[in-house]
Amino acid sequence: MASNPGEGIQGSHSSSSLSRLYSRYATECGLLIAIFAVVVIAILIDPTNAYLEKPWYNATEILRHASILGIFAMGAGIVIISGGIDLSSGSVIAFSGVICCSIILGLCQYAGLVDDTGNPVTANLPVWILVAAISGTLGVAFIVGSFHAWLITVIRLPPFIATLASLVGLRSLGRVLIQDVNRVFTSNANTQIYIRDATYKSLGNEWYIPVIICAVVALALFTLMRSTVTGRHLYAIGGNEDAARLSGISIEKKKWLAYCIGTMTAALAGILYSSYVGGAMPDRDGLGYELNAIAAAVVGGCSLAGGLGTISGIVLGAIFLRVVIDAVAKTVKDNPDEFQGMIVGLLVVLAVTFNELRSQKGDRKKFFPGALGIVNIISLTVLMGIVAVLVTSDGDSSTDDSRDKLFAGCIVAGVTFAVLVARKMFESRPAVGQGPVPVPIPITVNVRDVSSTEDPSTEIGKQEIEGREPGGEDDEGRDS
Amino acid sequence: MSASALISIREVTKRYPGVVALDSVNLDIREGECHSIVGENGAGKSTLMKILSGVITDYEGDLELRGERIRFSGTRAAEAAGISIIHQELNLVEELSAAANIFLGREKVRGLGLLDEASMERAAGELLQSLECDVDPRERAGALRVGDQQLIEIAKALSLNTEILIMDEPTSALTESEVARLYRVIERLREQNVTILYISHKMDEIFRISDRITVLRDGQLVETVDREATDPRRITHLMVGREIEATSFDEPRKPEGEILRVENLSLPWPGHAKEWRLRDISFSLQSGEILGIAGLMGAGRTELMECLFGASEIPYQGEVVLDGESVRFRHPAEAKAAGVALVTEDRKRLGLFSQMSVGNNITMCTLDELVSMPLRQIDRRKETAAAEESISQLAIKTSGPDAQVTSLSGGNQQKTIIARWLRTNPKVLLLDDPTRGVDVGAKAELYRLMDSLCRDGLGILLTSSELPELLTVCDRIIVFCEGRLTGEFTREEATEEKLMEAATQLE
Repeated sequence: MASNPGEGIQGSHSSSSLSRLYSRYATECGLLIAIFAVVVIAILIDPTNAYLEKPWYNATEILRHASILGIFAMGAGIVIISGGIDLSSGSVIAFSGVICCSIILGLCQYAGLVDDTGNPVTANLPVWILVAAISGTLGVAFIVGSFHAWLITVIRLPPFIATLASLVGLRSLGRVLIQDVNRVFTSNANTQIYIRDATYKSLGNEWYIPVIICAVVALALFTLMRSTVTGRHLYAIGGNEDAARLSGISIEKKKWLAYCIGTMTAALAGILYSSYVGGAMPDRDGLGYELNAIAAAVVGGCSLAGGLGTISGIVLGAIFLRVVIDAVAKTVKDNPDEFQGMIVGLLVVLAVTFNELRSQKGDRKKFFPGALGIVNIISLTVLMGIVAVLVTSDGDSSTDDSRDKLFAGCIVAGVTFAVLVARKMFESRPAVGQGPVPVPIPITVNVRDVSSTEDPSTEIGKQEIEGREPGGEDDEGRDS
Repeated sequence: MSASALISIREVTKRYPGVVALDSVNLDIREGECHSIVGENGAGKSTLMKILSGVITDYEGDLELRGERIRFSGTRAAEAAGISIIHQELNLVEELSAAANIFLGREKVRGLGLLDEASMERAAGELLQSLECDVDPRERAGALRVGDQQLIEIAKALSLNTEILIMDEPTSALTESEVARLYRVIERLREQNVTILYISHKMDEIFRISDRITVLRDGQLVETVDREATDPRRITHLMVGREIEATSFDEPRKPEGEILRVENLSLPWPGHAKEWRLRDISFSLQSGEILGIAGLMGAGRTELMECLFGASEIPYQGEVVLDGESVRFRHPAEAKAAGVALVTEDRKRLGLFSQMSVGNNITMCTLDELVSMPLRQIDRRKETAAAEESISQLAIKTSGPDAQVTSLSGGNQQKTIIARWLRTNPKVLLLDDPTRGVDVGAKAELYRLMDSLCRDGLGILLTSSELPELLTVCDRIIVFCEGRLTGEFTREEATEEKLMEAATQLE
């Protein structure tokens, strides 16, 4: 591009505002299309027609879960954009459940809402108790976030270590705390607290409340990140911390804000979650959710190196994750929860792989070089076979069942193997002049499903890249 | 196609999407010669060297080594054929010893697959001795000086029986004495009949060591000439395709009163043998004046700028007077508010927000002026207008404020950062080696820019690693040597020799 600046200028003038908008929001567009595609596919192959029979129920359920995930994914995403990482959100969710419920118990005692045995009655809580509990929980989250910021900016711990300590420590603290709280305010030493108040329970159980809260938080954080000086400074710190400091930006204050947003959004999600399950169970609440949040942020276009990502991308990333999890749950009948980890893992790998491919345009990418390639062709084949066996719907007659499953497994494994071996053979061909050769690449079929854009090494992908402004790619504008 | 051609490059073309980095280049490298490759940034020098050294394997055209067609599958294959490259950014594992780095990937082993440290250290020691490098082979590579680290890379190349050594701007981070040693090493390598390909911007180096010079421009080979048959002026002309007028600022600038005074500034250096990074520095800068700071690497030029900008981790002693008021900045934000601006030495690491657009880079320091009520949100229209104003004011070559900043050339990136700081309306502009890694044409533009800023009443403090640059643009030059001020010259008095004398004036 340096050799021909005129071309770049012309290109940018001729590009319509629509394609400009697309290049600015490429991740968001891709995710929207992907969400739509997953829903359509799920409707088509769902054997029980659950989506068509109860469309309203399913839509609201997906929205409820996606909203709760989206709230703390945005917090985790802002920390990632500012160049850090927050591993604590799952534990903060559990801990804030404990805090919220403990405050409610304590205030019940204070307000004299007790039964004959002196145990608090949580059935009909006055509003002020709820408000106090929620504010108190958010306050505690602010303290936790400030503690993270202190460890990171003053003590200079790496963010990974500082928040890892919270990940392990806060859940444990919550479990110890809840027993003491129960001992003080009730007659037992339970490891759980149940809240029976209808208003409190409605927070998480009425589907629209999490959705509205998520939308409000999203709007606020979107404005913060996109339109305020503080937001711009957070992107700057994530992109180049030294340059940001030398530009007169106060790094410490901005990071303090980012980590507080991280914990306070997690606390908000924790309150909603605690309301949804009707109490606090710190040993189980929000277990592993920090990784879901990071996954949603990464799928939504955040770079773990910092400086890249948008709030809209993160929200769509959360919706996409939830839609895929739900779609698999609908098509695979037995215990869909167990598939969740696999799905999240797969989507994160595919999303990041796809981003890598996009930035490595022009170079021929080898997926299966040498012995490592051979081992991974075998392991992918076996994995696909096993997945096929697991998801093959269990028919009614149990005798044919195992044979069907085995058959499906072998077919899928065989096809996978053939495709991957073909790909490897293609890669091992000696290079022939003329740059990247346009050939459809089998493995990228999966990649396309995720983000619905072409692999850069195919002809279409190449034209697309060339059409864009030089060097700009579609990362352009994500910073603003 | 002379009989002595060691490598022949035949019609080599390398395309990137939208860009032809190399366009049908034909070049013969003779056995045993020292061949310099020059050209502006983006001319294709590095691409060509990467093809020769097997870093880039995907190109059109042919390479012939001693008349045989070859195509390297990677750097290993190129090394096996006797071609090694020393990159500008050194490739050492800092945590490993010098010896371990030299034998990295080809470790000597005894029985049972255990490392034979002793024999590797002995061999490394001999290699380093032959290169005038008296470091202990057991020393950790990261603890060595840059010049010694470079010799370790050269030793590594020699241990590979390299016949062709490619050096990419090897002197960019060396002190003068290290450069002199490098010249001697190159001389010795040539006695051993090693062919050297030397990439550099610096004319004096090229004319000192090379036999032939090849000029690349926009991916095309312009000309290959014998050193005897040419002169630096002609080479510069070939590189840019036009004559650069020796930027002349004949009309003298008129300094108008003191804007910055530094009195007895000292910067301690805790835990270091020398105790002081800067010691008793006193000087004054007038508005409308360019004051140059000359000095070798490590003389304390950058540290002084950091002190003046409030960016130094360690507090300094002494007094700084800005516009009649004594100041002591604890954070760059305070310096910015008081009217001091710093354009840092390492553009990529300390200056650019490479994931942002040109416009966002320009407005980064002055966003507070571009907000509208009530949420203090950034007003896009104001921001774009401000960026466009700066782009046209400094003649930054870009398709617009929305272009990605990484799509600009080095000179234009530098202008973008200068524009960022000019928007803060500074009284004093600190420029730390602003033309590093900037091509010849853009340098002249930056000089003109400095001159016009100065005429508008700005006081500029400029450091440079190139003395001719200081002699061209500065009104006065002060010289640092190991943290002390060892000389002050007016433009009329100063010569390269006098400056270098003061800069090497050790006690």
